Amino acid sequence: MMLHIKNISLTLGKMPVLRDISFEAAAGELCVIMGANGAGKSSLLNVIAGEYPAYKGVVRIAGKDLRTMSVAQQATTRAVLSQQVVLNQAFSVQEVAAMGRYVYNRQLDTLDKGIVQCALRTMQVYDLKDRPYTTLSGGQKQRVQMARVLAQLLEAPGLQELDYTGKKMLLLDEPVTGMDILHEQLSLQLAATLAAAGVLVVAVLHDFQLAAAFAHRILLLKEGALYTQGTVEKMLTSAHIKNSFGVDVDVLSHPQCNYPLVVTAATAGLFQSPAEKALNVF
Amino acid sequence: MNKLFKKISTIGGLTILLVLVILIATGTGAMHMSPLQVLAILLHKAGINIPVRYEANMEGVLWMIRLPRVILGVLIGAGLGVAGASLQGLFRNPLADPGLIGISSGASMTAVVMIIIQGSFPVFQSIPLLSFYSLNFAAFTGAVITTLFIFRVARSGGQAVISTMLLAGIAVRALCESVTGLMTYVANNEQLRSITFWSLGSLGGASWTTVMGVMPFILVPVILLPRLAPAINLLALGEREAMHSGVKVSQLKVQLVILATMAVAAGVAVAGIIGFIGLIVPHIVRQFTGPDYRILIPGAALSGAVLLTIADLLCRTIIAPAELPVGIITAVIGAPFFIWLIVKEKRAIVI
Repeated sequence: MMLHIKNISLTLGKMPVLRDISFEAAAGELCVIMGANGAGKSSLLNVIAGEYPAYKGVVRIAGKDLRTMSVAQQATTRAVLSQQVVLNQAFSVQEVAAMGRYVYNRQLDTLDKGIVQCALRTMQVYDLKDRPYTTLSGGQKQRVQMARVLAQLLEAPGLQELDYTGKKMLLLDEPVTGMDILHEQLSLQLAATLAAAGVLVVAVLHDFQLAAAFAHRILLLKEGALYTQGTVEKMLTSAHIKNSFGVDVDVLSHPQCNYPLVVTAATAGLFQSPAEKALNVF
Repeated sequence: MNKLFKKISTIGGLTILLVLVILIATGTGAMHMSPLQVLAILLHKAGINIPVRYEANMEGVLWMIRLPRVILGVLIGAGLGVAGASLQGLFRNPLADPGLIGISSGASMTAVVMIIIQGSFPVFQSIPLLSFYSLNFAAFTGAVITTLFIFRVARSGGQAVISTMLLAGIAVRALCESVTGLMTYVANNEQLRSITFWSLGSLGGASWTTVMGVMPFILVPVILLPRLAPAINLLALGEREAMHSGVKVSQLKVQLVILATMAVAAGVAVAGIIGFIGLIVPHIVRQFTGPDYRILIPGAALSGAVLLTIADLLCRTIIAPAELPVGIITAVIGAPFFIWLIVKEKRAIVI
């Protein structure tokens, strides 16, 4: 198993954030973590990313215990795209993407440069390569960050040149926030391509449509615990969504679409307490 | 390639500029020497004779008075430059400056306390180098403690909050200056003179002993900090992202704090508080090279050296034969620059 998680719990301050989560994920899988705000999605991803050494339980990446892996070992095995990267210094787009190669080489060689160029082209930001990062729009910045993470992950200047089975893992925390629909699709297709090349992709997503279209498996979190997990068809049901998000939805099928469509129910009762209902009257 | 060219041309250009400034500054003063004469004397010392005529007493003036002072300025300027650049990297903030955030005051406070202590133990008077090194060490300790304190107070979510950082700086400076004030109160006449000299900042105390005293404390950071530059670049993304990319963040931060404060403290120990060099220099260099710390740090070392040498040249010539403390000159240039910087940053935030 590429990723093995057993009985993970995490407490930040006095707040229990994750409770006893266990799951496994194989190389080449595209797992999507979903759940309401505060369900612990990002915290779970951050534990796997090595940010909270104070977790209880076991995390094994490619057979190695996370606690015994050095920072450099972690960085060569997994790449992480965080929710919001704040960079307010005027590095050029190319320089930002090249930062992904830090763990391999402090001075870029020809291979590194090829990989950086490939990452920039893949994320369609090659034309911006000499622009200062600070002058980009939000969505462009997000794509440059994705290019940086891709540069960290790849070992050859191409997406399908090598088999990464058992070697690489990609963690994405809401990777498409702020992107337009074209680049949203592009990013998830990229994730799917990487998964096809053997990379384990674990992504936190909010959008049911994207999750339904691209996920191999969905993990639903609720109040810091793993509520349930399984295939898209099994997870995206109105009962599961009602239970984990507290909202009434209809799950539709469409002849031109090979995955379920989730739409909020026309009769959705969003306001449940009498007080909120009263407010709603006004 | 383009990048390498930029690096070589920046470093090369600044090195040439520094050599010229050194030759001119060394030759300027009550006894004037042309840059060529300075060069001839220096080469003669190294055993090479070139056909330039100079008077015999020039050699003594140059070697015993001018050169130590210029070299001291070069060293301290370079130290302040790299310290400013790397602190800005550490705090992820272009307004971090050793003077503004109170590091210099911390160093100055412990140095002043050390002066008082040294006055009570005759062993320090008999071995000058020991007194310099112990002064350096005291200043260094003060600087490290202040830096760590401010870093702790100002950090929130892995990023130093600018307003908190500057407020903490004000508080630390007030505290340190009150202790320094107390020391002034208990000091005797001779100690009082050294203390006053500290708080204004001056290279007037330069001699080969002081040069030797600060040399190791400044050369170590100047040599080691550029090696950390690729990691400092990643720190610009945030501590979490740097960690994800393979940077040992806590180790890097400790190295930065130690090396940067070492350079600042060494300067403070022999020349007092010289403000704003650490703030201005990285900014000027950044205008030409961009934010890449691999060029910025060596560039800041060279430009810091150039700027402080020029500032010291000004302060010992404009009201000659008297001289101004160099801290006054750097503050006169630096304070308006700082205001301009705040206005610029403000505009950037609004847009």
